[in-house]
Amino acid sequence: MVSKNSSKLPLEGLRILDLTVVWAGPYATQIFGDWGAEVIRVESIKHFPSTTRGMVMRPTKKMVSQIGSLSAYPDRDPGDRPWNRVASFNAHARNKKSMTVDMTNEEGQEIFDELLRISDIVIENNVPVSMDRINVNWERVSKVNPNIVMLRMPGFGLDGPYADYRTFGSHMAGVVGHYSVMGYKDESPDMTGNTLTADAAGGAGAALALAAGVRYRRKNGKGIFIEIATAENFASYLGDGILDYTMNGHQQEPLGNRHIVYAPQGVYKCKGEDRWISLSITSNEQWERLCVLMECEDLALDKRFDSELARQKEHDFIDELIEKWSLQKDAQIAMHELQDSGIAAGVVMNEADAFADPHLESRGFWEQLEGVDTGSNLYTSTLWTTEELERSHKWGPPRLGEDNEYVYKELLGFTDNKYKEFENKGHIGMDYDI
Amino acid sequence: MVMGMMPLDDVKVIDLTHYTAGPFATRILSDYGADVIKIERPETGDPARMTGPFYEDKPGLERSGLFLFLNTNKRSITIDLKTEQGRDLVLKLATTADILVENFSPGTMDALGLSFESLNKVNPKLVVTSLSNYGQDGPYRDYIGNELNLYGMGGSMIGAGNVDYEPVKTAGRMVNYHAGYVAAFASALGLFSVEENNEEGDHIDVSIFETATHSIDMRLNRLMGYQYSGKLAGRQSQASAVGSGVHPCADGYFLITGGARFIPNIIRMIGMEELLDQEEWSTPEGRAHPDRIDEFLPYLIPWTIARTKDEIRIEAEKHAVLGGPMNSIADLMENEQFVARGYFEEIDHPETGPIKYPGYHFKLHREEGEMPKRKRAPLLGEHTEEILSEIGISAEEISNLKSAGVL
Repeated sequence: MVSKNSSKLPLEGLRILDLTVVWAGPYATQIFGDWGAEVIRVESIKHFPSTTRGMVMRPTKKMVSQIGSLSAYPDRDPGDRPWNRVASFNAHARNKKSMTVDMTNEEGQEIFDELLRISDIVIENNVPVSMDRINVNWERVSKVNPNIVMLRMPGFGLDGPYADYRTFGSHMAGVVGHYSVMGYKDESPDMTGNTLTADAAGGAGAALALAAGVRYRRKNGKGIFIEIATAENFASYLGDGILDYTMNGHQQEPLGNRHIVYAPQGVYKCKGEDRWISLSITSNEQWERLCVLMECEDLALDKRFDSELARQKEHDFIDELIEKWSLQKDAQIAMHELQDSGIAAGVVMNEADAFADPHLESRGFWEQLEGVDTGSNLYTSTLWTTEELERSHKWGPPRLGEDNEYVYKELLGFTDNKYKEFENKGHIGMDYDI
Repeated sequence: MVMGMMPLDDVKVIDLTHYTAGPFATRILSDYGADVIKIERPETGDPARMTGPFYEDKPGLERSGLFLFLNTNKRSITIDLKTEQGRDLVLKLATTADILVENFSPGTMDALGLSFESLNKVNPKLVVTSLSNYGQDGPYRDYIGNELNLYGMGGSMIGAGNVDYEPVKTAGRMVNYHAGYVAAFASALGLFSVEENNEEGDHIDVSIFETATHSIDMRLNRLMGYQYSGKLAGRQSQASAVGSGVHPCADGYFLITGGARFIPNIIRMIGMEELLDQEEWSTPEGRAHPDRIDEFLPYLIPWTIARTKDEIRIEAEKHAVLGGPMNSIADLMENEQFVARGYFEEIDHPETGPIKYPGYHFKLHREEGEMPKRKRAPLLGEHTEEILSEIGISAEEISNLKSAGVL
């Protein structure tokens, strides 16, 4: 973001030490960076964080060609420094800085202490046992800097029988029951894909927790330790389903794309390869307008379809009818025609649709950024807009150790000689040394 | 009883939201201690009150599980916004507040005489958060949106489900809840600018289409990956690597995620380490060959179906295999981890009696001790008199407003 009238960004002046991995944690610091905080990724050239900077450190060209788009590399080429080129990292790392330090030894621990002293926030989302190894915990952190706000967000929390259970969003989704309510009606769960919404929820939740923590610090005059168990944070996204169970003993079941009350609702095939339109009818009037649009006006007043209940009974028949119509239609055109008739509808957008979408374009949702190791790409802009601020990013994803000079010399005041010494001792570098 | 200090316990929020996304936002703010004043339509209230699931499956204004879940800790006042006196009351409440959150369709606030300009005039420090399907401007501004089509347009629906079937919706109301979570954070940052940087209150514009495109599921990765590889991700089967997939087991299904680094762990977990000595299994490249996926299943499946979800989970933890049980909500309620941490919270309510609710999203480790217990969702208009008397409206005026149908 940039200000339209020289006022400050909301989080300008806050410094975050970012020890996050994979997605949930990095997503939180992404949002913080977008809104003005100085986010410093604390990394190590002695440890390759798998699935954060790629699945493996140096994938071969052949491996890269077999990898799906989630961890793709520009031009399907891992390049000299693959860890700076992987999509799953670069998707969340804009506006951040990167420094390296080997915290497995005493000297690295002292450097980290120095960083803690000049920072406002420290955040991590590792399995607790990994943080124990480098002595990152509230006791230590608060002793060094009592004013710091610390957020730890392991998958299942810091205690309990699952505490050291390594997990991704898709597994947390399994634990909290997500897949028991998502999926095709009357199909076994192995037909449903993978979902990582727990990470997105974790990122948003962690960002809010940090903002609340900083406000608490101001009111209370000292720092605070906040814990988010990413799985617990996500369980609330099933809130009404959970209450259906605790109130009534009902285990909700997957309805596919249908609605429990309204009909018809579904996703229908359109002209072309893997093209789909979703639509929902929530009133008799909308049903009549849909019939007009599909040029089957006689059905509009047909007794078989004159209420939600009646249409639910005939849902399979109606689905066939709609698909006969949608198959002749371009998905985009179908969306506009349905919306113009006052019916909730949308293209099931693939990646190309999103980049070409005129609405996102008109709201300034995309931003072009250059990177040494990535080339020029479009990045999603901020999560929301405001009247006073204008969407704009500062820079693209940082290369591993890109900001070492800034951090060691400018922030921590180390001399050139000391900097060289840290280089020799394996703290500072831009290539993994493993 | 609130014990000790909460981060937002001196923050007042005027809540003009209804249904799902907006109330989720203000629910979270109230969890951090904010005083949330929920303004509802007289007699019928928030339409979520008449949206299922209902307690004992019987509809009623105070029986909706959706409403009860989304509105804990809030206070309810009824005001008819379409009357002049009603609008004046909202403006008066706004002068005492820090944040106002609304999720009407764009243009409605202006039509009600509650535009950002008029709110800003009565309280220049007020942060106004507008949450809508597509945002306050742009060509789709007035399009209709719901959970399904917003997931399809913004989210990862094109990648959800089976490659041979239509794309499938994610569970429940996730797209709306997530937008609400983002709106809560956006509101907190708006407040930040006012308090820390001494700015005027800003008008925040949260679009569900954008929060979905930006964050629900793996969309961000896919958008970047598409630019890098030119490949549309589409729907993939779970079995995209050796051992990956949703596998049947003794009491249901267990999800395993592979990926290059974890394949040897999966192989060791099922006691097949001798495979790693064979040429095609000995290198990352060899193990990444698509043929290995099917070759491995005859080893893996007999192992999983001989074990329960819990037994597999423990083995997975032991061998650093990434995976998780495919639980039902009933399983979740009895899950040893959630039970051990006391996640669920029992909240009493005159209509339903004590019911278990999902617990806090976060845990503040404060010296003051445990997290405060939440208050149940308010009855419709339960706090009307209390809230109006706090802003200096007399009992007589209140009764006049009531008979005029304003309250």
